[in-house]
Parts: sequence; structure tokens; C-alpha cells
Amino acid sequence: MPGIFRVSGPRFPLCASLIGAGGLVVIPHTPQIPPELKSRIIIRQPLQVLSFSESSAGSAASDIEIPAETCMGLPGRTYVLPRDSSECLPRFEVGQRRHARIAACYVQNATARAHDRDTVQWQQTPSELRSLGSCAPGRANARATSDNDSDSVVDEEIPPHSPNPTMRIPDLFTQYPIVRDALVTPTSQAQDETVEACLPFLRGESDKVTTYNEHGVASLNRETHLPFLRQWLGRLPGRLMGFDAGRPWFFYWCLAALTLLGEDVTQYRADLVETVRFLQNPEGGFGGGFGHLSHLATTYAAVLALALVGGEEAYDVIDRKAMWRWLGRLKQPDGGFQVCLGGEEDIRGAYCAAVIITLLRLPLELTPESPAYKEDGSVNLLTGVADYVRSCQTYEGGISGQPNAEAHGAYAFCALGCLAILDHPARSIAKYLDVPRLISWLSSRQYAPEGGFSGRTNKLVDGCYSHWVGGCFPLIEACLNGSDKLPAADEPSLFSREGLIRYILTCGQDHSRMGGMRDKPGKFPDAYHTCYVLNGLSAAQHQWELDPPATTTTTTAAEEGGNDMAADTAALAEAAAEAVWAVLPYLGEEGPQIFDHKDRVRPIHPVYTIPTRCVKAMRDYYGTVEGF
Amino acid sequence: MPPKKKGGGKGKASQASKPPTATTEEKATSKDNATADKPPTKEKAKANDSAIGPALPPSSTTATTDPPPATSTTLPETQTILERTRARFTAARPYEAHLIFGPQQQQQSGPLPGKEPGLGGLGDLQPQERSAWLATRIAARIARRPALSATATTVGSATAELARVACGGGAKTIKEVWRIVNEGSVPLRAAGEKQFLGSATGPVSRRIVRWEGLSSQAKGPSAGAGAGKQVPSSSRESQTIAAAEARWERRVRLTCLSAESRCFRAQRDRERRGVCDDRTGERVVVTEQEVVEEKRRRLEIAALRREMSGQGAGSAARGVGKIASDPEWDDVVPVVLEEPEGALASIAYPADYAEAMSYLRAVMKANEHSERCLWLTEYIIKMNASHYTVWLYRAAIIFALKKSIADEIEWLNKIALANLKNYQIWHHRHLLVENHFPSISSDPSAIATFAASERQFLERILAEDTKNYHVWSYRSYLVNKLGLFSDPDELASIERMIDDDVRNNSAWSHRFFLVFSHPDRATPGVAATEPDPKVPPEIVDREVAYAQSKIRLAPQNQSPWNYLRGVLVKGGRKLSEVEGFTEEFVKGLGKGEEEEDVKSTHALDLLAEIYAEQGRKEEADLSLQRLGQKWDRIRFGYWEWRRRCLGMGAAAA
Repeated sequence: MPGIFRVSGPRFPLCASLIGAGGLVVIPHTPQIPPELKSRIIIRQPLQVLSFSESSAGSAASDIEIPAETCMGLPGRTYVLPRDSSECLPRFEVGQRRHARIAACYVQNATARAHDRDTVQWQQTPSELRSLGSCAPGRANARATSDNDSDSVVDEEIPPHSPNPTMRIPDLFTQYPIVRDALVTPTSQAQDETVEACLPFLRGESDKVTTYNEHGVASLNRETHLPFLRQWLGRLPGRLMGFDAGRPWFFYWCLAALTLLGEDVTQYRADLVETVRFLQNPEGGFGGGFGHLSHLATTYAAVLALALVGGEEAYDVIDRKAMWRWLGRLKQPDGGFQVCLGGEEDIRGAYCAAVIITLLRLPLELTPESPAYKEDGSVNLLTGVADYVRSCQTYEGGISGQPNAEAHGAYAFCALGCLAILDHPARSIAKYLDVPRLISWLSSRQYAPEGGFSGRTNKLVDGCYSHWVGGCFPLIEACLNGSDKLPAADEPSLFSREGLIRYILTCGQDHSRMGGMRDKPGKFPDAYHTCYVLNGLSAAQHQWELDPPATTTTTTAAEEGGNDMAADTAALAEAAAEAVWAVLPYLGEEGPQIFDHKDRVRPIHPVYTIPTRCVKAMRDYYGTVEGF
Repeated sequence: MPPKKKGGGKGKASQASKPPTATTEEKATSKDNATADKPPTKEKAKANDSAIGPALPPSSTTATTDPPPATSTTLPETQTILERTRARFTAARPYEAHLIFGPQQQQQSGPLPGKEPGLGGLGDLQPQERSAWLATRIAARIARRPALSATATTVGSATAELARVACGGGAKTIKEVWRIVNEGSVPLRAAGEKQFLGSATGPVSRRIVRWEGLSSQAKGPSAGAGAGKQVPSSSRESQTIAAAEARWERRVRLTCLSAESRCFRAQRDRERRGVCDDRTGERVVVTEQEVVEEKRRRLEIAALRREMSGQGAGSAARGVGKIASDPEWDDVVPVVLEEPEGALASIAYPADYAEAMSYLRAVMKANEHSERCLWLTEYIIKMNASHYTVWLYRAAIIFALKKSIADEIEWLNKIALANLKNYQIWHHRHLLVENHFPSISSDPSAIATFAASERQFLERILAEDTKNYHVWSYRSYLVNKLGLFSDPDELASIERMIDDDVRNNSAWSHRFFLVFSHPDRATPGVAATEPDPKVPPEIVDREVAYAQSKIRLAPQNQSPWNYLRGVLVKGGRKLSEVEGFTEEFVKGLGKGEEEEDVKSTHALDLLAEIYAEQGRKEEADLSLQRLGQKWDRIRFGYWEWRRRCLGMGAAAA
């Protein structure tokens, strides 16, 4: 039954964003649109969904008619395209700064004939079908449509192997990889055990999972995750005293996860403000607990948590002047940061510091008490950070925590986050890192059949890397899409979003009444994993777009050195922080959406890992403050 | 309460004189509900009475009014403090008991129709009883004044005082009072009213309400129905007598110990101030033995307090824990954690931990570097090893006190083995080495010894957790710091680990660092993914051969492939150098399902790069296509991107 999918541009009143509504990307298929555009139309404005309705009379100019079932979670299956919808198109060509490139394929009215044909092809080999369209099945179908010059085609995909005949699960996710070695070592044993533990969940056979959808994907257990998270914000038992040195982490993990699940966390504002107030040290920064030294990681977590709850009360609790001095004392001559006074120096520290500096709009100047201070003022808080990051890239392509260590997923995110704060990713990442090697390494982190990411070569998948590695891809995409030396990160995605979503929703969730997200089946859920697994889910469900870097003349300023260079750093960082990251639900050509609409989580800023509006509100507030 | 004057009064009095009644009734209730509400039979009451002992006739109606016992020692059947107190009270104040328990007894026997549960009132007493009651009160007040009772025999001043007390009643009244008292053998030393009546001076009615509350509690909820106001009795009152006595003993013990402890503190204080003993003329010294005794004493005090407050944990947080009980810490005022109301994610810290943290805050604030602080850090670390603050503090103390680094490392080893996933331990070790190194830097044999002992421990801990990131990071730091790049043992150690598990990427990573970060072979500032002209060709050849030999063991193992590629790039070689080797693992590419055989997707990946390097774009494209289509489908998007790289002429290298 067709429904009305109302789409509006900025000229129309906005009721709900596409993201909030669960999102669908719709591009009309009409005779006026040339066939080659059917599968690739660029819309220069994020679509806004106003409402769904059951009516079939899509007459308003801004309406696009599509079947109701599509709205309910089966995008890409069948779209009925109205005659007059082409009129909407020009209306989207508004807005210069933000743009979003959305690609979607449009097909109409499945026919039994086409259905059979596709089935046969799938049964031969799914990858061959992919090669037919040189891409995912969706595009294959789109091409078939244009070849047939017919308005009817199907994009139903029937996987050749499905243990559960009622579910459509590609065999990639139900079988061991086809290339395996005979040699058994502790690493391969652990890997096989993990696959063994994951397979029942992935195959749709686990009795722990109550609801699988037709794609063999479990639904997001919001009703258990929410109480789980609230519980972690409440009073914790004494056996968790090991976390005494990292209490602000709980604030961030839980509040961020609640936000991702669409909860309003402003109710925690007053309590959070009071709690962080007594964790703040007079010499700047926040400690892990009362009386603990200030630490960059806990300060980062506290600042993000305050940004999440928002409000002047929350912003005012931070002693920015003390924070600025303290950061200066942590700054090291090699460009990195110590995590606390006398503590270790690693890339985590650099990332946390960069986030804090830009979110709080701290001045970049150093005071003489900083170990990196230079009298000529040529060194500021962000000077040398990029070089430090560069020194952490390993021969494998990934990033290590400190120079000369092993490449590790969590540090990869920190590294890319740092570079994206320093400058536009297209410039900074490309300039300081070996991008092809990095992408090769990042992409190697994804395993089949699990679908999740591991943190290092030959290590096991772990739900938290859904964020640490999965969260790298929006930054990599921004880098590639703004670069003219490397091909853009086009369709299909650089990583298998389907694989990651399958892993998260089947293996990464605790399916018991306890709730929460976890490392892998057999592990207990916790706040840390709940936050980062949901972050990863968000990364897989959304697509980020950043304007390509404006061509600047600052490259010459770098050669002049001295103060100009320092000023340059500040200007670039400011521009990077002000850059608008546009987001849309991902609806690529990889295939149909395998998760239900209600299981879409909120998008989260790819660099700051909090909603974009929180970043903006906090920065705007400090922008209006005079001095400290 | 006029109706049923005497009989009721008697009945009440008789019941009141038997404190265990309630208990008896409760037992009865549990046995048989039907008899529960009935008053005990007269026989029963009599039996009880006779057991109680000699009667105290408050009036002439001795036969009907059961006398209260004279002494508490003859109340063996009382079981709780409340019961005993009641018994004693009754024994000492038969008339007040009458007043109080009168209505009480009515309740017990079921509310009589028309009879208000309330005051028996003075009106219930016979005129004789009334005068006796009055006399007792006056006499008791006199008796309670120690000055008076001491001089009670000397009539002079006593009489004057008595006269005053007897409210101006004159000598005759006094005489009369004493006569009544003597005749009735009224005990003068009765239990103080204040103790358990709350307000002794309050009006009778108030007291009665209080009593009702008490007695109803003692009896259970069924009896409380008629009481106007429930006053909760403290748990102390429902204690058994044995428990109360034990408690009393503890209190005495506690008082003694506290006094001794005060003496100790005073002595210690004198010692600190350098006071000389008056008798001996020597300076006051607190001996080791005394400190040990004091420690034991304080632990006992703490234990006693805990027992008496009935709390196990919370008391330590209030300052009677392990540290507070140690005289060593007497001069430190702990900074106690006071969480704000509604604090998020607040942890219910165990008492010991909370106490230790309070002391830590205090000594850190004072920036104290001492043995006791060192002990405190260890104490906390053993409870919570991820406490970065305490680790840094510990390092500062170690350096300030110039403690032996070797001892500290030995201690640290134990902690490290117990806490494998921990950042702080390794940073601490790092700080120790930083501090220790200058003292051995000029002595190569000392460095070698130190390196060997460190390696021994690292091997041990890596055997437990072969890919521990913190351990490996420390290991690379150590190699750099001690200059172990050329140490054959280090390379041999790594090779052993690779032999144990050829998939241990951490070991491969360390090997790459060891070989290519060697100061003789590395140009500073050259990134890991860039060629370095300083690397000798024979090293590159050696490493290529090493990687190849390991690849053959398990071709689908990415670690040596990454290593191989890394070595070639570092050495500035062409990837094509290993074309023949790589093709060993890929057969019949693109020649159909039957013929095509890929033993390693990593080989196919490298092959695509090799072909691209040689400009054989179609073959490169085919390799990537086959990876995405069949051999490594999860990375389909990546292989597609790589294909586009070919199109742009930018071979992914």
C-alpha cells in the first residue's frame, strides 16, 4: 500500500529530520530523469522527512509517493514513483554550504520473472552478481532496469546459503572463511573459538535472541539498554572500586549511549554539574575521583559529558583558565601530551587535549611553565601534534599508542581525530599519514563471518572497535572525498556496513534482561562497550559529508615560520572546528537495509563523538565569553 | 475508672507484678490462638508470684494485691532488658506499676466493655495505698541524694532536708513518711525513672502512654491496637540479659582501653615534644613494644566499637579502620570523601579503601614523602591497581627517599603478574628505569645485567599474556633506552615467541622495531612506511627471507605478509622482488572456479600491488576483483576502492 513520504527543503517548515524519523532516501524515478541518473542523483540539501501517511494521493509538490512498507523498514525493495515528483527535485538545489550526496536505486513493481532470474543468479555466486553490476546487488538491478528499458525490476535478494530458510543471511556471515590454514597456534585457536561463539547468533539460530527480522538481524534491545545505562549512572557496588580512577568515563559513556538511543539527558545536568565540580582540581582539569590528579582522559570524558547535558550551568562549571594552564604543562616538546603531570605520553593524550582545546575554545598560547614553551612564541598547544601522530604510524599502516609500538585500533581513531581537529582531513590526514596503507590496515580489521572489527592484526573481534575502527571511516571518507590524489570513498563503502551492523545487533548485544552491549558473545556487558558499540552502530548507519577544503593561501605562510606558523595552526584548527559535517542515513547500494527503522540510533559527530548540536552549542557559548 | 474498682485493680496489680506475662502469652499465642486472649489463670499467676518471693504489702489487702519482688536477682525468668527493667520497676514501685500497668493488664485480658484503656489513676488506689505511694516517692527522692543518704543516720541535717523535701510537711510528716516506708519495707533504691520512663517529671499520663508503647512492642503488634501512640523501643531494650551483660563488659573493656590509649597518645606527644620524665630525668621514649601494644589495643577498640554499634563496615569509614588504628598515623587528619547529593556513578567504596583514600588525600596534600606513605601506596595499589594518582605518588616517594630501584622492581613484578591489564604498572616501571638508568649508563656490564633481568621478567609475563600491549610498549621503550638493538638475546627472544605462535603480531611488530629502528640503520624522522636509505641491503634480504619462511608455515597469516611488505618498502625495494614467491600462493587466477586456487588472500593482495607496480593493470584489477568477489568478500568495498586507485594511476603504494 503506497504511502506519502513528504519531503521538504528549507523553504518548507521542518517537523522532523530525516535522521530522527529513521530515514529513507528517496529519489523519484520519472521519464524526465535520464536513466543513468536513476541510480545516482546528487541532492544538494539534506532531505527532511515531514510525515508518513497511508494516503495514496500524493499531489502536493513536495510529496513523493512510495509504498508504506518501504517506510517501515524495507528500503530498496520496491518504490512506486509518482508522476509529478520530478518537480520536487529543483527544490532541493538550495543551500550552498551543506550538501549531501545520496545515492539510491529505484525500482518498481517486482515481477515474478525478474524475481526468478535474480534468484538463479544469486544461487550461482553472489559475488558474480556483484561483478555484473560492478557493485552491490542494488546497482546490478538498477542497471538491469535500464538495460531492459523497463519500469519493472526487483531487488529481492535470495542468498544461496541460509541456514534458516525464513531469513536472508548471506553465506559470508554464516560460514568460516574459505581460505584457512591448517597450522594451529594459540591465536588460531582463540579465533576459531570466537567464530564458534558468534556463529549461532549470526545464523539466526541463537535461542538467546528473541526477535530476528527477515534478514536474520536481531532488533536493538532499547528497553533493556536504557535501564542498564541508567543503572551505571546510579550508585555502583564496591566491587567496582577499580573504576574509582575513572569515574567521569561513566558519565560520558552512559550519557553518550543514552543520547545515541534518543534519550534526553538534560535531566542529568544538575547532578552531573555537582559531581564534576568536586572532581575538578584547582590546578585545572578533572581527576578520576575525588582527590585524584587531573588526567586528560577523565577530563575529556567530563567535558564531553558536560557538553552532552549542555546548558550554561554545565559550561560554567569548567575552570577554563586553569584548564588552559594545565594543558600547557602537559604539552611536551615533541608535540605530544602527557596524560597527567608526570604521566605517560601517548596519542590518546594528544587526541583528548585537542578535543578539549577546541571544544572549550582555549587560547593556544603556552605559558613559560610549559615544557614546550619557546620564547619566540613559535610553539603553541597544537604545534607538533601532527608530527607526533605521524611518528605513531607503523609499517602496517595502523597507528600505535606511542612511537615504535604495535598498530592498534583505538589509537587509530585518536590519531585521525587529532588530525581532523588540526585541519581539514583531506589536508591533514593526507599530509601526515600514508593513507593507502592506513586504509588497508583499517579494512583488514573487519573479519568474516563475524562482521565486527578487531583492534590489531591477528587479534579477536571486539564490539568496542565498532567505534574505534568503524569511527575512522567517516574521517577517511572526508579525507578521500576532498583529495584529488586518491579516488573518492564512493559506493560501495570502504567497510562492510552490513557486516558491522550484523555483528553489533546479533553478537554485540546482551540479549538477556540485563541489557547493555558487549565485547563478544560470552562476555559481560558494560558501560564502556555499550557506548562504543552504539557509536559504531551509528557510524555504520550514517554517512557523513564534509565540504572539501577551501583552497587557502596558508601553505606559503608555513614556510615563513615563527609566529605566522603558530597563527596558522590556530586558524586551521578554527576552520576545522567550524566545518560543517552533514549527515544522512546511509542508504547505499550494498543492499537492502537489514535493520529495522526503530533500530536506527542517532548520528554522532565523527570527531567529537557527541551530537553535532552539542559541539556547536558548547563552542558557541565559549565564543561569547570574554576572556576566561 | 470507677466501675469494678477493687477487683480490677487487684487483677491489674497482680498481672503487673509478673513481667514475663507477655512472654508467656506470646508463647500461648503461638501454641493456641483460642487461649491467647484470655488472661492467665489465677493458679498460674499464683505460681509465678510464689516464685517471685516475699510479698511487699502496699496496703492491708495483702492477700489480693500481689506484692512485687524486692530484688531483681530473684527474677530469673526475665529474658530481655525490657522485661527485667519492668520487673525491677514494678518491684520498686508497686503503686506506680499499679497505676501504669493497670490499664495495660486490662488490655491484655481484652478490653473490658465500658472501660477506657488509659489511666488506672490514683483514684483506683485505696487511701492507704495512696499514702504509701506518696511516702515512697518522698523517701526515694531523699535517698537519691547522696549527701543525704550518707548522713541519713545523723538525724540533724537530714531532718531539715527531709522537711524541705516533704514540702513543708513538718517533722511529724517526715516521721510519718519514714514510718510508712519502714512498715512497708519499700525499697528506696529503685530503678531510676528517667532511665526508662523518659521524662520522670512528666505527668503520669504521659508516662503511661510511653509504657503502653513499650509494652505493646514487647507483646507484639496485637496488643498495640489500643495504644494511643506507639513509641518505638530501641533494640537495646529488647536485648536479652546475657547480651546486655556482655555489652556492659565490652563497655568497661572499651573504657579501659580508651584510657590506656589516651595515656599512650599523651606519652607519644611528650616524646615528640622532648619532655623529660620527672622521676628519672630521662627523655620520654615510646618503645617499639608499646607501639605494638597500642596497635593491638586500637584494633581491639575498633573491633569493640564495631560490635557495639552493630556495624561491620561503615565504622572504618568513620575513622576506626586499619590506618586510624595505627598510632603511626595519629598526626594525620584524613580528608574524608563527601560526595555531593545525587552524585552520578558514585561507588560504594569498601571501608578500607575509603579510609586509605582519605589518608592518601591528606598526605598528598602535605606532599609527604615517607615510609608510611610508601606503605600506604602499596596498600591502595593492592586494592586498586589502576589508580594512576597513587602510582605517581609512589614513584615520587621512591625517588625522594632514594629507595632501591631493584627492590621496587622486584615488588612491581609481583603486582604486574597479578594485574595483567594495567597501564599504570608499566608507566611506573618506565619511571623507575628513567631514574635508574643514569646510575648504570656508563657501565655496559651493569646495563647488560639489568637488561637480562628485565628480559627475563618480560618473557615471563608475556608467557602469561602473549600480546599484552602495555608490556610490548614497555619492551620497545626499554630496548630504546638501554640500546639493546644489537643485543642478540633480544632478537633471539623475539624469534622464540614467533616460533611459539607465528601469528603473534606483537612479536612481529617488535621485531620490525628492533631491526629497523636501530640507530645505525635508521634515519631520524623517516616514517615507518617510508624507505630509508640507511638500511643495509643484507638486513633487508635477511628479513625478507625470515618473513618468507614464516609465511610458508601458514600462508593465510597476515602478520608476516605485513612484515614482508614493510621490509621491502623500508629497504626501498620493489615489491616485484617477491613476485615469484607470492605467486606460489595463487594459482589459476581468473581461470574459472575449478582451477583458481588461492592459499592466501594476503598474497593476492600483494600480487595486485606488484602487478600495479609493473603496470599490468588488468591483472591487478582481476586480482582485486577476485578478492572482492570470492576470496575476501567482507572487504569488498575496499577492493573496489583499490580498483579505482588503479584507474587513477595511483597504485596503492
